[in-house]
Amino acid sequence: MTALRSAPTAFGRLFSFWPLVTFGALVVTTLLLLLPVYNIVGLSFSGKGTGKSILDNYAMFFSEPYYYRSLINSFIVSISATVLALIIGVPAAYYVSRYNIWARSLIKTVVVLTFVSPPFIGSYSWVVLLGRSGILTKFFAEYGISLPSIYGAPGIIFVFTLQYFPFVFLLVSSGLKSIDQSVEDAARNLGSGELGTFFKVIAPLLLPSITTGALLVFIASFTDLGTPIILGEKFRVLPVLIYGEFVNDFGGEPVLASTLAVLLLCVTTAALLLQRWLSSRFSYATAAIRSLTLQEQPLGKRIAASAYVYLLMAIAVLPLVNIVVSSFLKSNGPVLTAVFTLDNYRRIAATISTPLWNTIFYTTSATLLCAVVGTMIAYIIVRRPGRVSALLDTIVMFSYAVPGIVLGVGLVVTYHHPPVALTGTALILIMAYFIRRLPFSVRSSVSSLQLLSRDTEEASVNLGAGPAATFIKVTVPLLSMAILSGVLLTWSNTIRELSATLILQSGSTATVSVEIFNEVVNGNFGVASALGSVLILLTFMPLIVLFTFMGKNEEALV
Amino acid sequence: MTTSVMVDSITKRFGDTTAVNNANFEIAKGEFFTLLGSSGCGKTTLLRMIAGFMKQTSGHVRFGDRIIDDVPPHQRNTGMVFQNYAIFPHLSVFDNVAYGLRARRRSADDIDREVRRMLDLVRLGHLAHRRPRELSGGQQQRVVLARAMVIQPDVLLMDEPLSNLDTEMRVHLRSEIRALQKQVGITTIYVTHDQEEALLMSDRIAVMSAGHVEQIDTPHRIYAEPQTLFVASFIGENNILPGTVAGTDGGDGFLIELPGGGRIAGAGLENRSMGSPCQVSVRPQDIGIVPAEGAPLQGTLADIQFLGSTIKLLVDIGGEKPLLVSLQGRRGMEMPVIGARYGIDIPAKAVRLFGQGGAA
Repeated sequence: MTALRSAPTAFGRLFSFWPLVTFGALVVTTLLLLLPVYNIVGLSFSGKGTGKSILDNYAMFFSEPYYYRSLINSFIVSISATVLALIIGVPAAYYVSRYNIWARSLIKTVVVLTFVSPPFIGSYSWVVLLGRSGILTKFFAEYGISLPSIYGAPGIIFVFTLQYFPFVFLLVSSGLKSIDQSVEDAARNLGSGELGTFFKVIAPLLLPSITTGALLVFIASFTDLGTPIILGEKFRVLPVLIYGEFVNDFGGEPVLASTLAVLLLCVTTAALLLQRWLSSRFSYATAAIRSLTLQEQPLGKRIAASAYVYLLMAIAVLPLVNIVVSSFLKSNGPVLTAVFTLDNYRRIAATISTPLWNTIFYTTSATLLCAVVGTMIAYIIVRRPGRVSALLDTIVMFSYAVPGIVLGVGLVVTYHHPPVALTGTALILIMAYFIRRLPFSVRSSVSSLQLLSRDTEEASVNLGAGPAATFIKVTVPLLSMAILSGVLLTWSNTIRELSATLILQSGSTATVSVEIFNEVVNGNFGVASALGSVLILLTFMPLIVLFTFMGKNEEALV
Repeated sequence: MTTSVMVDSITKRFGDTTAVNNANFEIAKGEFFTLLGSSGCGKTTLLRMIAGFMKQTSGHVRFGDRIIDDVPPHQRNTGMVFQNYAIFPHLSVFDNVAYGLRARRRSADDIDREVRRMLDLVRLGHLAHRRPRELSGGQQQRVVLARAMVIQPDVLLMDEPLSNLDTEMRVHLRSEIRALQKQVGITTIYVTHDQEEALLMSDRIAVMSAGHVEQIDTPHRIYAEPQTLFVASFIGENNILPGTVAGTDGGDGFLIELPGGGRIAGAGLENRSMGSPCQVSVRPQDIGIVPAEGAPLQGTLADIQFLGSTIKLLVDIGGEKPLLVSLQGRRGMEMPVIGARYGIDIPAKAVRLFGQGGAA
């Protein structure tokens, strides 16, 4: 008796499991990512009339102040927000990690809350607080103090800084954990003071975390659409212009929107390449045997550090508290009164079911797709290295660089015309969410797979289970915890998506985030707050599961 | 049915490095065959090519008279035991052992019977429903052994299966594995860097170095008649001394001059011209200590290492390295004295000579 079957030919092996999956993954990423990007690039180089150069659209962009100003504006707000996020985030992370300030875990919770809450909710909440008829504006006006305006560049920078400093905070916190206590002890032993040790030894070792955090803040600020629409007024940044041009061109070819989108894509791609280069350049690959320890501080220092961190956290969490509180207050258009009511919830109860169902349905579908496809792609990248797998890796990582609004325009350009007219359907939103989150799923599965010994899978193959059976019976069960935490993170991140959704939705496919955006634009702050509270709740639920039952900490977020 | 295995001119290259260089041997049906060498010598690479996890650059693997180069690993019907156990942590002991039978779509009754029989054979029947994490390392390795054998593989492949266990468990399991293998009569290829393990367990051993098979022989011949300088120095303790051909005894024998001027007799060298250099190998336990007067080879005792049952003497004979002599410790024996001169008795039979290239 023998279990040997006839050997397949080389041609036959092409049709075995993993080559087929690899091919499928290449097709899917090409259709959802490369083709849309290719199409907007093509459109951006199309001169409209005869005798026009293919660079016409770009020539116009760089000659008209209305257009090129937006690029400069984008750089101004993003770079300012990045610098400010570093200035407030690095000390905060250092104090929380190293100083014995009070209620450290509460502070980490606050960071998580601000970090995962939808950015556009934050900005509109600041309008409620600091807008022309804002609560704080009026409060201080009674005492004759006029607060700085929340509108325009300063307001956008302020909100971006508060919204995105957690990138810096979380990365620096985990960076500090990878430094061994002996390094600091050695510096102190050789005669450096605390400040000297920080700048000469700790900060250089933190550089990879700091640069990564800074570039994530930059990219997030550069590509955010909701905040500058709500706060910008006459101050226009690139994403706002893309959205405006796209809405103007609707029905026709969004040539100008594509041109702007390509410019945005160039900036984000350059930023990501820079980040990769910087983190490889400054990486010392340290592994801490004993991480930096908490230091007992004299009372004065302890109080000062605590006061700084508490003040920062209070400001950061204020918009969230404001949303939840104001959702229970009677509102008169944009003006809130101090009267408790459930009216806002009664009003949304009638209209929320469709967008809520849409949100949950799209998010869940995209999340499940991400889990399945992401795990398979991760397997190909880790276990079947080669040229094709490296290509797939590069394509997937490229989708990091494609901002939501760019992907939205690309998908519309690609799938607007029959035979594949998908704009305004649920499918196109699911596709967008899926491809946006795919690199995160792949990355998290890749890192768990790398920790998993190959032997276990080889044992399964050796015992007669084929590649597909081994993947399902051995690899997936062993990765199940990692996949599940990936699912929770993807869900929580996808549910608050706004930029791509604004481009791709069609009224009947609106999500909760689009509804909130519409109510804010229409000035119905009470209803927006109630919807915002619902969305915040939906965002937090999976994270509560993740942190409470799966032993993850806040560093899983970045 | 178990089968013979033939490794036919197999070479494996990774870029510029050659991991396995033209390996050639045939393993008989039911034989316990060991690939022995230090890490990086290519033994695991060779095993993984036989299992099908890697494809050789050139050459063929045959099971019986069948070339299996293009058979994917899951259809080769080999049973493999891994260094890190590779136990399925999410399955019970029973399900681990049943895994291969289920992949072969055997009936539930068959599976139940076979798994229980095999678990009894490795004396784990009472732990069938435990999870792997509740087992000791030795128990886990026995589960993996049962899992590999229950599918009645054509060949059993073992990749350093005992190297993660403590000494006591290792000593215990190696005789258990050998007994089990004899009882089942399955062709086994065993990879190890531990020469004691190899000598104790194997029918034949292939000693490998830098991708090259140095010698294939029974354990006794590997030890007593090393064919290359590498094997002579790798297996067991040995004195390797540089020498010069100083004369012949008329027949097959030579007179070799050692560093320091002493001369010994030996045999079996191809280049017999006077003054040609060679390497001399003598096992420490084959050397005797005699009174100095009249002995053709003499030395000064430099140090004594007392190890209980054996006593090791380091004797300075005027060369770079002292000569290592190993004596059996007996009751009432007279301890040699450090600093005294002794005669050194090396029987011609104990001497092996190698040319400069390393081959005999």
